[in-house]
Amino acid sequence: MNTTARPKVLVCDDEVQILRALRVILRDAGFESLPASTAEEALDVAAVQHPDAGIIDLVLPDGDGVEVCRRLREWSDMPLIVLSAVGDEDAKVRALAAGADDYITKPFGPRELVARLNANLRRVRHEPEATVISSDGLELDLARRIVKLNGNEVHLTPTEFDLLRRLATNRGRLLTHRDLLESVWGQGYAEDTQVLRAHIANLRRKIEPPDGPRFIRTDPGVGYRFAD
Amino acid sequence: MSNGSKLRAFGGERPPMWLGIALAALAVAVATAVIYPLKSVAPAVSLSVVYLPAVLLVSAYWGLGLGLATSLASAAAFNFFHIPPVGRFTISDARNWVALAAFVAVAVVVSTVADLARSRTAEAERRREEADLAAGLARELLAGAQTGEVLGSTARRLAEAMTLPSAAIELGAVPPEPRRLAMGLRGPDGAQVATLLVPSHLPAETIERLQDHVVGPLGALVAIALHRDAVQAEAVETAALRRSDDVKTALLRAVSHDLRTPLTAILAAGHALGTDSLSADERTELSSGVVDAAGRLATLVDKLLDLSKLQAGSAVPRPDWVSLEEVLLVARESLGAGASDVKLTVDPGIPDVRADAAQLERAFANLLENARRYSAGQQVAVQIRRSDARVLVRVVDRGPGIDPSERERIFEPFYRGHEAAGEPWTGSGLGLAIAKGFIEANGGTISVESLPGQGTSFVVSLPVHETAPVQAGV
Repeated sequence: MNTTARPKVLVCDDEVQILRALRVILRDAGFESLPASTAEEALDVAAVQHPDAGIIDLVLPDGDGVEVCRRLREWSDMPLIVLSAVGDEDAKVRALAAGADDYITKPFGPRELVARLNANLRRVRHEPEATVISSDGLELDLARRIVKLNGNEVHLTPTEFDLLRRLATNRGRLLTHRDLLESVWGQGYAEDTQVLRAHIANLRRKIEPPDGPRFIRTDPGVGYRFAD
Repeated sequence: MSNGSKLRAFGGERPPMWLGIALAALAVAVATAVIYPLKSVAPAVSLSVVYLPAVLLVSAYWGLGLGLATSLASAAAFNFFHIPPVGRFTISDARNWVALAAFVAVAVVVSTVADLARSRTAEAERRREEADLAAGLARELLAGAQTGEVLGSTARRLAEAMTLPSAAIELGAVPPEPRRLAMGLRGPDGAQVATLLVPSHLPAETIERLQDHVVGPLGALVAIALHRDAVQAEAVETAALRRSDDVKTALLRAVSHDLRTPLTAILAAGHALGTDSLSADERTELSSGVVDAAGRLATLVDKLLDLSKLQAGSAVPRPDWVSLEEVLLVARESLGAGASDVKLTVDPGIPDVRADAAQLERAFANLLENARRYSAGQQVAVQIRRSDARVLVRVVDRGPGIDPSERERIFEPFYRGHEAAGEPWTGSGLGLAIAKGFIEANGGTISVESLPGQGTSFVVSLPVHETAPVQAGV
């Protein structure tokens, strides 16, 4: 990471204790935190200080974190990670639909939060895409459309390959059902989660070890992510 | 008639026979007399029709027997008084025989037709009565709350309608006894649901009528009533389950949010405390944050325990003489730094109440905490007063008040009112539910009065026992 300027992260949570702890944790991970304890303050801070990313609590005293995401998305492309304590899929899905890139459930491990933050920052940094992606024995040659597992070539259908490429080029990032369906199948397929589930199952049968998924992680009811 | 029931043609109870005989005799006599003046305008032989109204009348009310007797009496009287030779039961002219025979034939037909109409009407009347009885029994059985409770009045109604000396209905199959007859009441599926018990010395006709016309519909009605009981019980159970499900869902949500938030703070602070770049100030901040969040967790756990005890019905009070003033002083102290915002006024001569002091303290601590949270930083006034046989504790805040639409719900667990402007949303939503639970467990009541924009007062009312000791004033 280029250290000339620390990336600024907007942190919006009404719990002052959480703001304080995150300030230290983010600083330790090389970020500068911009705290805000209400939705209004978050929008003000974002407008004035132009953060590189945002961490937004879903339950705020003066409103809804979903609304904050929607308002920020109107003018900013920064990665947004939603903090939810409510463990309910509905709120997560609403936040993701409103423009959030990822969510993390309270209580969370700070290391996990930092990893998600980095994964989502990679998206906006437009790092040059490698033509070969390798991870833990799995090798994707994007130019030649070849997949190898521990050196042996694995035969994938074109759709399976596109799906794996979409996941692997966004490693660590949560990709919602809608995102995957639209990017692999096209605009008209956004609701066909059954189709997606079937292809993910086939893909896993071909590349995952039998004792459980290592590469493609499920976020139940929300989407999938490629292990970071 | 003496019993007030109307004499009805073609139906109902038959009027007494002596009256019929007297009326028949009178009608025949009148008809005989009427014929005398009529003989001047028509041949005597043709005037036998004058007797027909009498025959019709008697047959309609008293049936075929007396009707035929009246026909014959009319024929005899006509012959004796009006057919020559008059004054004897002989007939000289053969044409008069024909006239008399024709009259008798017509009279017999008339009385038969009248009697048929009478018995048809009587049958219809009986059916109507049976239908009325069935409807009455249905009302009795189905209008009541529990079938078991209305069987007595249903049996009484049946006995009244059928003029039985007594009748009883018992659920299930009951064996007959020497002096009482047991008739099985069966539901539509043929299973015996109850037994109708009547005295065994009833006339055979009544027993037959009961068997043919009452036992069937009554069995169906009892079966329906029992089925309705079962459905009702099920509905009550379902509603209770749903309520308890609602509470559980709310509990899960609250646990999800209210436990996770301080937990997150503790977890994050713990990690942050492990980093190297920490300044001394940050260390102090983070460690006090851990203590603060853990304290909140502990309070919440206490409240959840209080609430689950109340909901499980295991918060049994241990009553003793309790001074409300002392309880309120302790409750106020539990607010910590906020205690100075609460002003306590106690009228002289307040008697002690009989209650569990610890539970009342929990109740009032929650009530004061709630009032302070919504009082927008203004003072909370607490007054203890006596009103007849009750002691009233009034907790008044000058907060934003409670909207009427919310007033019903504020005592529900996990319900949180709209927070005062700018105040962070920190309540657990359990305080008022706990306060209400403990106050009611101790025989008291709690109510709320509120004017939006002006504040809210909660009024706790506790009963005073006659033997209550009175504090001499503090």
